[in-house]
Amino acid sequence: MLNQDPLKYRELAAKAVQDKQLHKALGKLRDKFGRNAVNLYNQLSSGHDPRQDAKAVRRKIVDNLDVVLETLAANIQARGGHVYLADTGEDAVEYCLGVARRHQVARVVKGKSMLSEEIHLNDALEAAGIETVETDLGEYIVQLKGEAPSHIIAPAIHYTREQVGELFAEKLGEPYTDDPPTLTAMARKALREKMLTADMGISGGNTACAETGHVTIVSNEGNIRMATTMPRVHVVLLGIEKIAATLEDHDILLRMLTRAAAGQKISTYVSYVGGPRLPEEPDGPEEFHLVLVDNGRSRILADPDFREVLHCVRCGGCLNVCPVYMAIGGHSYGSPYCGPIGAVFTPLTQGINACHHLCQGETLCGACKQVCPVDNDLPRMLSLLRFKLANGDKSWNVRPQSLPTKLVFGAWSVIMRHRRVYDAMSLLAGFCQRLLPRSNGWIRRLPGPLGGWTRGRDFPPLAKKSFAQRWARRDTTRRDA
Amino acid sequence: MSRIIERVRQALGVRAGDGRDKLVFAKSEDFVGCADATATAQERDDWMKTIRAEAQALNLQVHECPDLDACGEAIATLARERDPEWGSLKQIMRWNDPLLHELGLETRLGEEIAVKTVPKADFFGESERQEFRREVIASYIGITTADYLLADTASLVLLGGSGRARSVSLVPSIHIAVVPASRMLASYRQMLSCLDAMVLPSNVSIITGPSKTADIEATLVHGAHGPREMHLFVVAS
Repeated sequence: MLNQDPLKYRELAAKAVQDKQLHKALGKLRDKFGRNAVNLYNQLSSGHDPRQDAKAVRRKIVDNLDVVLETLAANIQARGGHVYLADTGEDAVEYCLGVARRHQVARVVKGKSMLSEEIHLNDALEAAGIETVETDLGEYIVQLKGEAPSHIIAPAIHYTREQVGELFAEKLGEPYTDDPPTLTAMARKALREKMLTADMGISGGNTACAETGHVTIVSNEGNIRMATTMPRVHVVLLGIEKIAATLEDHDILLRMLTRAAAGQKISTYVSYVGGPRLPEEPDGPEEFHLVLVDNGRSRILADPDFREVLHCVRCGGCLNVCPVYMAIGGHSYGSPYCGPIGAVFTPLTQGINACHHLCQGETLCGACKQVCPVDNDLPRMLSLLRFKLANGDKSWNVRPQSLPTKLVFGAWSVIMRHRRVYDAMSLLAGFCQRLLPRSNGWIRRLPGPLGGWTRGRDFPPLAKKSFAQRWARRDTTRRDA
Repeated sequence: MSRIIERVRQALGVRAGDGRDKLVFAKSEDFVGCADATATAQERDDWMKTIRAEAQALNLQVHECPDLDACGEAIATLARERDPEWGSLKQIMRWNDPLLHELGLETRLGEEIAVKTVPKADFFGESERQEFRREVIASYIGITTADYLLADTASLVLLGGSGRARSVSLVPSIHIAVVPASRMLASYRQMLSCLDAMVLPSNVSIITGPSKTADIEATLVHGAHGPREMHLFVVAS
């Protein structure tokens, strides 16, 4: 069930577009959050777009990432925390395993972390014989089911309440119910036991404050506070780019994040966690580790065309408005980051050729840019990825994806730039289309490789008279009148 | 570590120590200044209205008390009415804070319900920590104060420290916070500005209502993993 292969995109997407149940679930997300986000931004300030403020802050941080990283690391260390900068996902996993071994950890409880999915941490912990329990309700459901999350913020959105009821009846031995409050209470009971007895908590972070030496964690369920307060050891996983410089930066960033993610003014819990407990505190972790993960991010940083994608705050807002995500769901992407943001970020970190379906599957409709709290121009970057796939790019190790595509677009370019060729080709096409099968005046099937277009829809034929011809005649009649 | 920082510098095409830190950590005057903004009586009344409205949507129960005596009595009544979620023991854990001493809960509840206080010490050994942990887990109500109450979102700001254990607002099923009205601030921004002016503790929790989730069919349910019930007592004087 677990799809980790972006090359299976077409196969999985073809199945998902038939899945009415999935569409019903995703429709709820769109109606509750997607449509609301932009209205909420507008309430924030009158006269100007708060997304531009957030973008300016993210740009300042990313453009000076070295300074912010160094300050954060120094201040966390000054608070008695450990900091590790991991080059690759494997390095980060190895470090976490090392900490777990040193503390003879038998059970880990996790707060939601997309980065831990990116580096496949759970598998590694389980392989080392460490019980690993997801504590976010959605993540817990997905984990019990043996699947991967299908949404950055709402991981189990693709299940109905009935399916969750059956799952809990089977795995937790509880009587069947499809009542969300009762189901939530069951998970509350089961997970409380786990959280109170775990040796180590692993969480992600929503951002960090370099100047004060804190990691900033946002949650609604309280599971992350549990997982970071009760176990002896707390490990935070954070992408190197996801940090902030000052508390003032947090003002606009957090306001935009919670609005974009869940239509909330603020989430239930915002925690600033800086290092282990102090000697005079009776609770809190005894050891604190911040693992900052590069895993391909500095490569993106080096390309001014794509640096913008590192401004992302991982709110998941672009998923909630994306017509492609709404049709195919999160699993089709074969990557922890799905939707429009995944379609840019995943190819850049896992290989553009290997993930070509992701950027080619999006529609470039622009809804993601409109809803993005930091105004990320995802459509521009999607187009650029496609350009690299068509033409190849040595700096990103991209092979031209297919010679025919390149030839067709080359020919198209010649036709469009030369009036006479264009006219001649129009005439030829007008003649040739008479040979194609029609229904109700539409072309039912295109020949050869173009046939893919007409597999699920008809194609409008060229008009009998071209626009240029009609325009010329319109001009004449007017003069006549 | 330095290798990756160096790689980041190369990617950005910048050098170390070129003075960019001034730009990166610069703060606007407006931000720095808003910590000291004082509120008029009218503003406070308006803030209280906003808090009441926000709280309703959050399932946060707001009680307004004229003084700590009335507040203590109301909390005692609440404690008698509620039943523990886990087990049958009725025990309260409260922060070690002068304001909470004055509630007189120990005398009000007497033998009925045990009221425990977070221990204060310069150092906590393993066994003392385990002991405290057991007591918090055994409590059905946790009582804290808050350093700030934010008007625009009805959020409580809890700074950690000695006697102010973080699990008290988290592990018990019911969280009660007692806050003098004078600790109200206009916004999250003003609170950040106040925090910016101090040396921060190792933990700051900003809490807005009881815990909740919408992970099953995007249906909102209160009482996920944190407290399922939350009461805010605003004390006038």
